Amino acid sequence: MLLNRLSGAFVVTLGLLLYFMIIPMHTEVVDYGWMRPQSIPNACAILFVFLGIVQVLFPTGATSVGFFELLRVSLFAIVTMAALWAMARYGFLAITPIFVGALMLLVGERRIGWLLGGVVVLPLTIWLTVVLLLDRTLP
Amino acid sequence: MVDVTTILAGLGDALSLTNLLFVIGGVALGQFIGALPGTGPVMAMAVAIPFTFVLDPLAAISFLVGVNKGGLFGGAIPAILINTPGTPDAAATALDGHPLAKKGKPVKAMKMALFSSVTGDTFSDIVLITLSAPLAIIALQMGPVEIFALMIFAFSIIAGLIGDSITKALIAAVLGLFCAMVGLDPEHGTPRLYFGYFELFDGLPLTAVAIGMLAVAEIFRRLANIGKSILPTIEIPDTQDAWDKRVSLAEYWACRYVMARGAIIGTVLGAIPGIGSTAAAFMSYASTKQTSKDPDSFGKGNIQGVAATEAANSAVVGANLIPLLAIGIPGSITAALLISAFKIHGIQPGPLLFEQQGRLIYGLFGAMLMANLMNLLIGQASLRLWARIISAPESLVFSAALVLCITGVYASTGGMFGVAVMLVFAILGYVMTSFGYSVVIFIIAFFLGNKLELSLSQTLVILNGDPLAIINFPVALALLLLSIFSIVWLGYLAPRRARKRADAYNNNPE
Repeated sequence: MLLNRLSGAFVVTLGLLLYFMIIPMHTEVVDYGWMRPQSIPNACAILFVFLGIVQVLFPTGATSVGFFELLRVSLFAIVTMAALWAMARYGFLAITPIFVGALMLLVGERRIGWLLGGVVVLPLTIWLTVVLLLDRTLP
Repeated sequence: MVDVTTILAGLGDALSLTNLLFVIGGVALGQFIGALPGTGPVMAMAVAIPFTFVLDPLAAISFLVGVNKGGLFGGAIPAILINTPGTPDAAATALDGHPLAKKGKPVKAMKMALFSSVTGDTFSDIVLITLSAPLAIIALQMGPVEIFALMIFAFSIIAGLIGDSITKALIAAVLGLFCAMVGLDPEHGTPRLYFGYFELFDGLPLTAVAIGMLAVAEIFRRLANIGKSILPTIEIPDTQDAWDKRVSLAEYWACRYVMARGAIIGTVLGAIPGIGSTAAAFMSYASTKQTSKDPDSFGKGNIQGVAATEAANSAVVGANLIPLLAIGIPGSITAALLISAFKIHGIQPGPLLFEQQGRLIYGLFGAMLMANLMNLLIGQASLRLWARIISAPESLVFSAALVLCITGVYASTGGMFGVAVMLVFAILGYVMTSFGYSVVIFIIAFFLGNKLELSLSQTLVILNGDPLAIINFPVALALLLLSIFSIVWLGYLAPRRARKRADAYNNNPE
């Protein structure tokens, strides 16, 4: 119930931010035509505010927020973000083995055979397939 | 109307050796990924789409159709063996498939699932081939006002996906619509909401958004939930009686009415956008149980239960393409993913496809029929192999899937920007799912958003801003009325009936 109300409050805030700040700053003002660039975005912002208020006042629907799962998902997202940043700088072949190894170790994989499969075989196979076979580039 | 030469040329293209190899590859990949517990055809297609970038359109679409068909059958394998359905529709297969496996007949249950899956799928493909072209001819008579009404109708199908909260469903739809507004606006051509990133002039890339929300978000969740025991336990007993390893012709024939009913239910529900294979599978299961002479045996390993659900959920695949090819509306999430594949190859799905790309479409139809045959042959040959391969640890499977998503989106969007968008939408997808907001509704609204804005803009010009002038457009008016009916039926009456049926089943499961 509380989480539903919180998500509703977030949607109201998002709607207000969009209507008063983001949409005016990031759309051009045009003074002709039935539909303006900001017409549908503004309608969406108003709907966010309205539906958010409804959700705060009459919260409905199930939620499945687990604190530890959220924490672990955040960790994986951060590791992926870092890997993408590093991949853009140092390349796919240098970073992917470290990235996959980190992910597998983080979930508790300790068997050396499977780890080698993820760290060596997987990146090499993808690289060979994409770069040599499909003739596409990789970071 | 498409001429016979085009149809024959298309079917000829489908039968080429290259195309056949891609169909085989797609079916095998789909069966393999579908067989992994916790994955399914959606994830399989999401991972595969960007890699089809380098293929010619027919090979690419045939490969993806193979992945989808193989994935749907593959989902039945973990459902039967370890009662862990990869997809919600396979949950219905588990009802009788798993008890059958526990009785020592896992191979028989899997083979029945395979045969009924191919039967249902072939039936719906034939319906698709005969119906979509005439529907497309009707759709081509439509002008901007009718197309706007059609867009409203497309949005109304979202009512079928509402779930337990109308407010949350509407918020998800509005969010999808808002995200579709990023990029140049269709009437004036001015850039908006691009936050200084020129890559966003063309809008958010559909492939990155769809893969992020559907595949990467789920991969993060699965990685986060891997416990201490990493290996899934899949066992097929070696000491099975020869009769328990096969489905005899008599057993298959005994299920003919069950499969026919399942195929019809799946085809009808599949052709209606938004209902999906889960409803078809459960509806077919329930009606088979109701009409059976021995309803008590259901849930305890009745092979007809497996046949009913698999025929129905596989029949949805072909029928789902009817609204996609005839009017350009995705009927399901896999159809929405197919749209992104079409777009990667510069093809706009919709009624014009039959006129502009008739050869490709009939090639696709040929490939679909071929994929059914391959599904049967590959499934027969490699059931035991999939069961062994899927014992690979989740730690490796999901790490590999994440890297494949990254490389795939990089290849299809042409840079790291698309990958960053994918990650942002993966986080958004995870948060939305956790708080009970439907990502499927989001993606359908996101896909339709641009078209809605364009058609609304054209309609307002034609009607000179007077909404009442729509009465001069009877087809548009009829579509708007149909939208109201669809909202009432899909959003209110159908869920009410389903709830009543579920209550009745819970109160008296026997």
